[in-house]
Amino acid sequence: MLLSPAIAPNLPVTPLLNLENITVRGRNKPRLDRLSLQLDPGERVALLGPSGAGKSTLLAVANGLLEPDQGSVRWQGEPRGRTVRARRRQQARIGTLWQDLRLIEELSVQQNLNAARLAVWGWPRALLNLLLPLETPACAAVLTRLDLDPALLNQPVSALSGGQRQRVALARMLRQEPLLLLADEPLASLDPRLAADLLGLLLELAGPPRALLMSLHRPDLLGGFDRVVGLREGRLLFDLPGSDLDTGLLKALYAGVDGP
Amino acid sequence: MRAAAPLWILLPALVILPVLALLPGISHGGGWELVGQFAAAAMQPSIEPLVVRSVLDGLAVTIGMALLGWATSLVLGLVLGIASSRVVWNNCTGRTAPAGWIRRLLALPRSIHELLWGLLLLQVVGLQPAVAVVAIAIPFGALVARVVSDLLDALPTANLVALRCGGVAGPAALLTALGPPLLPQVISYSGYRLECALRSATLLGVFGLGGLGTELRLTLQSLAFAELWTGLWLLLAVMLGLEALVGGLRRRWAMPARLGLERRSVGRQGREILAAGLLLLPLLSLVAWRLGIDPAALLSWQALPPLGPANWSELLALSWPRLVGNTLLLTLLAAALAVGLAPLMLLVVQPCRPLLLVLQGLWALGRLWPPPLTALLLLFVLEPGIVTGALALGFHNLGILGRLLLEASETSGAAQDQALLAAGAGPRVALLYARFSALARPYLAYGAYRTDVILRESVVVGLVGATGLGSQLLEALSSFAADQLIALVLAYAVLTLLGEDLSDRARLWLQETTHGDSSPQETGGAWR
Repeated sequence: MLLSPAIAPNLPVTPLLNLENITVRGRNKPRLDRLSLQLDPGERVALLGPSGAGKSTLLAVANGLLEPDQGSVRWQGEPRGRTVRARRRQQARIGTLWQDLRLIEELSVQQNLNAARLAVWGWPRALLNLLLPLETPACAAVLTRLDLDPALLNQPVSALSGGQRQRVALARMLRQEPLLLLADEPLASLDPRLAADLLGLLLELAGPPRALLMSLHRPDLLGGFDRVVGLREGRLLFDLPGSDLDTGLLKALYAGVDGP
Repeated sequence: MRAAAPLWILLPALVILPVLALLPGISHGGGWELVGQFAAAAMQPSIEPLVVRSVLDGLAVTIGMALLGWATSLVLGLVLGIASSRVVWNNCTGRTAPAGWIRRLLALPRSIHELLWGLLLLQVVGLQPAVAVVAIAIPFGALVARVVSDLLDALPTANLVALRCGGVAGPAALLTALGPPLLPQVISYSGYRLECALRSATLLGVFGLGGLGTELRLTLQSLAFAELWTGLWLLLAVMLGLEALVGGLRRRWAMPARLGLERRSVGRQGREILAAGLLLLPLLSLVAWRLGIDPAALLSWQALPPLGPANWSELLALSWPRLVGNTLLLTLLAAALAVGLAPLMLLVVQPCRPLLLVLQGLWALGRLWPPPLTALLLLFVLEPGIVTGALALGFHNLGILGRLLLEASETSGAAQDQALLAAGAGPRVALLYARFSALARPYLAYGAYRTDVILRESVVVGLVGATGLGSQLLEALSSFAADQLIALVLAYAVLTLLGEDLSDRARLWLQETTHGDSSPQETGGAWR
């Protein structure tokens, strides 16, 4: 998990993800409305917006769970896979950290980590993983990277503490070897210390060639991000370098709703 | 090496290997032509007015028997359930022991299959429409009683204690504190019982107690497949309609779902529920009148053939270990087939919508098609015996388990499933990892309960012979050997009660090792 050196600024960079004019229809009004967004390798982007602004919808379009009604999605310059197989190959490089973690409670930590490899594994290994500990060194490595004890590998997920679960979920994402890290309000239910730890880890992991798109509710934690994207009622309100964000914009973003 | 949850759920499917190995040995291959004709006739059911009319008449009788038997069992079950609840006894008299006595007494009617009740009653009061109704009502009533008392005793008692401390009298406090949380569970459960009653009424017909089942058997035995399919398709329509109605009402009234995976709020729409209940009364009286049910006729017993002294030497000469052993083997084989094949089939068809529909159709056929008829059909190509009986019973229960599994797999583990799909995993492997992990324990716990039901049910495939106690029992019935009959019924009862105890333990063990938030009351009651 060594971070590769920054890419020379004058070389043309292929964007990781390119969303163009994305519309996702909802029951009454669109959940996303003609939204365009580009993510380059190495970028750390924060996604702000009141509840119901479309942050989760945007992340679902990004990880391929949701097919937009209009607009185009390009991954590393190529259109989103037309065939199931091509699409899954792209999804394999997009990791998501879910707010509710979505670990499989009944399985061990190692089995959960290996579940991130299911996109590239065939059936024999998928079944074997339920029977034997597979690829222990790789699993231990991601745990160590996140300061977790490799002895946890054999533990059932249900036996972990809250902080451990959070890190195991992050370890599962790393185990996927993703280029794009998506995180859906991962800090929401954490105490301040855990939240700061996790944020630091995510920002650190997102160096080139990887990028991070993270939705959050805390304007006070934007320091480490390169860009801040504001979303309101499915539309892009602003897309700025983190340093350009001022309180006026924030007020506009949350106007008429309960404070952030 | 320790297999993980999703593998447990597939483990019972291994039983197909020995079954496949045994099949060539027991197939006599004589009747493939007949099976072909049977299958071909599915597309060309008879639509002659005379046939359709007689099928509709038979269907009406079957539905009537099911409705009346079901309603009677509910009344019986509620009364007896309240009477065997520890909480109720404790509140009204301060003693709990009588609840235990009544509970133990109720174990006997519960342990004897409705078919046996039907055939025994037939001997005593002769053929009349009420026989099937009572045959359904007795074991179902005892079963509902157990569920009601289990539910009652598992309800939180904080409200009850509070009311009692406030000086409210016992019965009034019980009604106020326990009535509202009990009602949705009982209503949800009774919907499921109605589906069971329809299946039982069809089955009883196969053994000559009237209705569509009788016609199905006659048409099958006379190889009139076109007429047979007329009955089957109509029965299928009625069953799917009933299941849709019950499921729809359950959702509309926000009743707890089966398998206890989804925590639902207490039911709403009280007025509508009350109206539906009141509407049932005139409907039931109409049905009773149309069927010509005469409760008084049940009391006029026929003169029984004189019961001689028991022939002990002949009784003891029966090879009991073999009979019991075969019965258990049949049960385990059928249970493993049903429990194991359902998830395997679901896994195979998973990503393909049309195939899933075909599978659901197959399962629906399994549910509605009485096992003895499957057994008769299998006899066209297979020798009679345990495997043939197990295949018939297994197919029927596969239909029941499959539907339940599919229903539960739609909600449980859904978030994890989505997470795996988003990371590029295939839909099949996501089903296995995410949904089967969450389902393994509740599903296997249900499988343990189902095994116990299959043991009780094993008597119904007795007519294909050599299946243990069941076939011996049917033989004793037809030769009026009362001493043998009584001994066999008791043996069955003892076996079923032991099985019930064992399956209860298995379920408790599966639930104890669960860490989730489903309380034992939720997984314990609603699907018995």
